[in-house]
Amino acid sequence: MNKKYTRIGIVVIVALFATIFTQFDSFLYKDPIIKVENIRTLTKDKNTDEYKNTDTQVTQRVTGRFLNTAKRGQKISLKNTYYQSQLTDQKYRAGQQVMLTKTGKHYSINDVKRDTVLVFTIGLVMVLLFCMQFSRGKLLTSVLLNLVVYYGFMKILINTHNSILLLMTVITALLISGIALIVILGPTSDALMAYSSTVISTTASILLSVLLLKLSNNSGVHMELTDFGLQPYFSVFISQVIFSVLGVILDETMDISSSLIEMKKEIADVSEKTLFKSGINIGRELIGPLINILLFIVIAEHLNVVLLYLSNGNSINYTFEMTLSLGFAQLLISGIGIVLTVPITSLIASKVITRRAV
Amino acid sequence: MLYLLGAFVILLLLVAGSRGLSLLFGLGINIISIVALLILIADGFNVLITTAIVSIIILIVAIFMNVENPSTANIAFKTSLLIMIVIVLVTIPIEYWASAQGMGVEDQEELEGFSLAAGVSFPQLAVAVIVVNSLGVISETSVAITSGLNEIVENKPTLTPTEVFNDGFSVGNRILSTQTNTLLFNFFATTFPLFFLIHSLNDNLGEIINDKLVVAEVITMLICAIGVILTVPITSYLVYRNVKNKKTD
Repeated sequence: MNKKYTRIGIVVIVALFATIFTQFDSFLYKDPIIKVENIRTLTKDKNTDEYKNTDTQVTQRVTGRFLNTAKRGQKISLKNTYYQSQLTDQKYRAGQQVMLTKTGKHYSINDVKRDTVLVFTIGLVMVLLFCMQFSRGKLLTSVLLNLVVYYGFMKILINTHNSILLLMTVITALLISGIALIVILGPTSDALMAYSSTVISTTASILLSVLLLKLSNNSGVHMELTDFGLQPYFSVFISQVIFSVLGVILDETMDISSSLIEMKKEIADVSEKTLFKSGINIGRELIGPLINILLFIVIAEHLNVVLLYLSNGNSINYTFEMTLSLGFAQLLISGIGIVLTVPITSLIASKVITRRAV
Repeated sequence: MLYLLGAFVILLLLVAGSRGLSLLFGLGINIISIVALLILIADGFNVLITTAIVSIIILIVAIFMNVENPSTANIAFKTSLLIMIVIVLVTIPIEYWASAQGMGVEDQEELEGFSLAAGVSFPQLAVAVIVVNSLGVISETSVAITSGLNEIVENKPTLTPTEVFNDGFSVGNRILSTQTNTLLFNFFATTFPLFFLIHSLNDNLGEIINDKLVVAEVITMLICAIGVILTVPITSYLVYRNVKNKKTD
């Protein structure tokens, strides 16, 4: 017990230290950083735009002191204008650290320095994990390994100028799902079984969906509206679908196959058909919650842009077509994947388990 | 799109049979609730209050329509409600601190031609984004842990609080891993175009870790993870209390 508290203590101290460190890390930055000391509101303009949105435009004078560069310690005063709704602009507060851009001899406000809150939140998650009896080692290993793979994926994408995106996505997806399964289940035949089910189900649903999309000539799906208009649209879209649905399908295959393995342990002479049927029964209950997970993640992603469209006087139909149609197509493909996983996993698991010597 | 929708419905009915119909019904209600949320916020209703009300409706639908055992559904609903409150309480100060609301320089192209004086509080919307993001994960986690734990507890003649908590963590381990994967892989899905674009704008580590959109995505993932982590002790406590009450009756 004592050991546990020492460990929690150490994690808390490390997290706090890391958070505090980011308050004083401006020497690591090339960009000039100031600490805001004083804010004065200069003007407030309340105006209503053509769509009857009332918003207030505020101009503030931001006074602060340089924390780095040759000007360290000197005072600077800058102007900042923002709308109270703060869609793209920013209200600054005293005490904040702010990054500046220097063009020639002129400084302008760039953005808030957010590394402190980032480190703090990571620290908070770690402290919570250590307060409880989870098997942290496994969890953190799999997250770290997956982040390393993702980093490599990003590096290759950038170096190849996004030209082999789909190929890289498939390789990355194969790697990260393999890592996740091996870490959770260990390098066992059960993991291999779940892995093959995951790969086959994902492939089948993606191929089927691509075929259907081609047949309908992408009607109603605005590929050009992928996030940030990154090209090639179709590959970006499919890659996003693969990454997004992969975690859920992994969850599903593991659930179904481990339940069937349990069943075989309890009833040694269970027939292949019974196993398959119970697999379908177990999977049936999983479909709803799993689609829900993705539904809310996908919609949350688009809340900002939907509201921007709606507040700019666009009709609900037009707004949804421009902002959510791609998301819904993504959800439908994910849904097809989640549904197809049930029979595919049940079939593979029931065949493998009945043929295996107990 | 219609082909996809058709394929989805047909496959769903083939695999899930009549259960598929109630699934479609539940999904329909969830989508309508979210659309209502968007319209209400655009009409000027308070973002946080509207989000709270709609979230509760969604949780009720997600849990009571998917779970047949009433005691499991009850505990799962109480848990997810508590987690929701915790998430809001954690998110508000963190979002205020991070100032990671709205859209970023990376969205510039999309924003062209729009009036940016939207009259909607985007700092509050940033909190709503995280709450909505977590709804599915939280309801699924609480249902999975409650039903797993209930099964273990009901088959045991005696139990102490420590035992229930230990069982809770052994059930929770697997679920925490799988939910972490889901959150992480979805983070990959949304951020790879973002990182690619940031790279072409400015390749500087300092800019990336302070970038509004990157920080917003990371915080969303981490706060959802906090929700999943906390689900385990809260569910264990509620299951324990429930069983103790039953035994003393």
